[in-house]
Amino acid sequence: MSIEVRGLNKNFGDFVALDDVDVTIPTGQLTALLGPSGGGKSTLLRIIAGLEKADTGSVSIEGVEATHLPAQKRNVGFVFQHYAVFKHMTVAKNVAFGLEIRKRPKDEIEHRVRELLELVHLSQFAHRLPSQLSGGQRQRMALARALAVEPSVLLLDEPFGALDAKVRKELRDWLRRLHDDVHVTTVFVTHDQEEALEVADEIVVINEGRVEQVGTPDQLYDEPANDFVMSFLGEVTHLGGLALRPHDIELESSPSLAGSVEGTISRLVRIGFEVRLTVLTVDGEEVSVVVTRAHARAQRLEEGRTVWLTPAPGAAVVPRMAAAV
Amino acid sequence: MADTLVPEIVDAPPAEERRRPPRVRKTPVTYLMRFVVTAYLFFLVAWPVSLVATNTFANGFDSIRSLVEDPDMVVALQLSAYVAVWSVVINTLFGVGISLLLVRHEFPGKRLLNALLDIPLSVSPIVVGLALVLVYGGRNGWFGPFLLDAGFQVIFSTPGIIMATTFVALPLMIREIVPVLEEIGTEQEQAAESLGASGLQRFWRITLPSIKWGITYGVVLTLARSLGEFGAVKVVSGNVLGQTRTATLAVEEKYLNFDQQGAYATAFLLAMVSVACIVVVAIIRPKNHP
Amino acid sequence: MIWFSALVLIPLMAVVVTAVEGGWDVFWATITNGQTSAAIRLTVLTALGVTAVNVVMGPLIAWVLVRDRFWGKSVLEVMIDIPFALPTIVAGLVLLSLYGNDSPVGVDIANERPAVFLAFLFVTLPFVVRMVQPVLEELDRDVEEAAASLGASRITTFRRIILPSLAPAIAAGAALSFARGVSEYGSLVLLSGNLPFKTEVTSVRILSSIENDNVPAAAAVATVLLAISLAVIVLLDLIQRRVAARG
Repeated sequence: MSIEVRGLNKNFGDFVALDDVDVTIPTGQLTALLGPSGGGKSTLLRIIAGLEKADTGSVSIEGVEATHLPAQKRNVGFVFQHYAVFKHMTVAKNVAFGLEIRKRPKDEIEHRVRELLELVHLSQFAHRLPSQLSGGQRQRMALARALAVEPSVLLLDEPFGALDAKVRKELRDWLRRLHDDVHVTTVFVTHDQEEALEVADEIVVINEGRVEQVGTPDQLYDEPANDFVMSFLGEVTHLGGLALRPHDIELESSPSLAGSVEGTISRLVRIGFEVRLTVLTVDGEEVSVVVTRAHARAQRLEEGRTVWLTPAPGAAVVPRMAAAV
Repeated sequence: MADTLVPEIVDAPPAEERRRPPRVRKTPVTYLMRFVVTAYLFFLVAWPVSLVATNTFANGFDSIRSLVEDPDMVVALQLSAYVAVWSVVINTLFGVGISLLLVRHEFPGKRLLNALLDIPLSVSPIVVGLALVLVYGGRNGWFGPFLLDAGFQVIFSTPGIIMATTFVALPLMIREIVPVLEEIGTEQEQAAESLGASGLQRFWRITLPSIKWGITYGVVLTLARSLGEFGAVKVVSGNVLGQTRTATLAVEEKYLNFDQQGAYATAFLLAMVSVACIVVVAIIRPKNHP
Repeated sequence: MIWFSALVLIPLMAVVVTAVEGGWDVFWATITNGQTSAAIRLTVLTALGVTAVNVVMGPLIAWVLVRDRFWGKSVLEVMIDIPFALPTIVAGLVLLSLYGNDSPVGVDIANERPAVFLAFLFVTLPFVVRMVQPVLEELDRDVEEAAASLGASRITTFRRIILPSLAPAIAAGAALSFARGVSEYGSLVLLSGNLPFKTEVTSVRILSSIENDNVPAAAAVATVLLAISLAVIVLLDLIQRRVAARG
């Protein structure tokens, strides 16, 4: 196992950033730390990198006890949200930095820098200053810089957070493909569940300083451990004391299924190919339901109609938590 | 190969940040203000300063020549330069140190230190001189007799002049570096750390290059201020001809001895240096702040 | 820290200690001595007057430098800094050459009170301008346009929108220029003649006490100046804090 985190605690004053966190991150995989802002995921990443000190707990990287190792000795690659480019150095110099610190021979450095710039598609910008690059290019440069030292793990802190939506999506695909090529153990922090589901092999969901669930994107989506994970990974509605996805509710115009709940359509909105309904049940619950447009047309759904709702067979369902709405 | 791996990423480099050109609505008020400001500066600064030049060269280059042929004057100019260089060196070293301390560390009394750093700018140079005499004065200062016994005379000697000059120019370097340090933040240093750079390497390779322009301005300003210090130096130097008389003291001395040509010539030299300093700053500054 | 203490703090403490060693009565007697109090009054009043002029002229100059565009503006920029960089003794000489007894325009104010005023005006020129200028540059023009679109006249816009944003910078610049005025020495040496009860300023008074070996008296007057500097610094700190709080 590549990164082992045991019993990690971290407070900033009164604020509990990490609360007894245990995480194991597998070698060679792309792992996402997913959670809402302020949930502690960046703090965890920075502690793994050695940029922050934990109050208690231990970190080991590739079997090496690293808890008290300074960042400079951990051999991790770190990519910052705002790139942290060395503004006074050219792109090539930025990438060469870690190798120069390690006093590698000149021609080796040159060779490696050329190789990496090719990998991140910045060869033609080698002698420019970072200020002449776009945000996406800067982040790719930062990635090359982190990869140059052949780190045992690559850590990315909201790497695409500062980029606009289109570039973010492209870089996300690109990171996935890059990882398939390079296979370095990679951990990235994100608050965007779509990004995590799309890119990661494994996702660690973190909220309020605690690990809520660890699993593959499919596991998390299909078998959420609790209400929080479920609601964070997608839309959620409640039906008869259960939390489930709006598209996992079957809607009939007659009470043909056992245990179905009667209700009236109070609102109907068509958005592209899907139709979103709000159904007011006889128990006074407001339930969101998503059906396909064809389905809605076939059943002639309209506001004011009475319908019967049932959870679809095999739907991901968790009991509704008392506190959660 | 790589081309198939990575699609063309559509993400253009940032266009040069375009500032909207100032829309100048030329009303009579605009011209009136322009005229008032220009006239004010002309009478207060431009004309008087230019008169020093004309007075200096009223007899051609004679006055400058007699200046550099006067051995006492040469000593005074050398002393001024020597003191200024020392003041720049000391203020640069400690200025960088204190700035790092102020920006990167939290400690009790930080706010107080930050406020006190401005004292040298707002306190009278005479008070500065007096303060140094009281502590380092050879006869009855707090530390003076002790230092004198150790064979180290501060007041009425060059170290005292250097101290006084360093004192008055102290905030200039710090006030230039602190904002730069605040702006660059710590991310670059952290990135260097994660790439394996030690503390010293981070300072030399990352921090120092980032603040080099701040330091440059600081050096220029400190130099100008140090060369020109008069009041504090007058108190601590003893003003001994050919020994502890700096160029600024010489200006006063010459003028009071009715050597107006000499006074103007010396003043002209000093003014040239300080004007050169601010012109240098004015020229290099925009490059760093696009 | 040790270096800062040795160079700045301990010497300044020495001044205060020396001043109060003789006791409060002696201290009070020294600074209320006729010649001394005249010097202090002249210094403070002139510095106040000069600051008032700077509060008007400073923002005006800054405005022209930021908003207007004309040939030779960069020369004006450099001119603002000259009083700061010029050795004070040279500044005195410079003013003397135009407004002294050889004046080409026939204005001879050497050894008169206006000379003190003029010298202060010269050395304090950059402070308000340099404080206001960056703020004015940062000022969001959209806000002015918004005000205009809401029907405000240019004067109203200036008074209600621009002036309040500039106020902290003007205040800070004014405080600095007051402090600088009060502590000025070099430029007055040649220009004002240092006549007791007439053109003698506080700094000169301290120096003559030092030269007469009356160190306690010098320290007492110096303490007054030091107190003024400290007050200004505290004021600046408060202004900065208020601006920071405003965001």
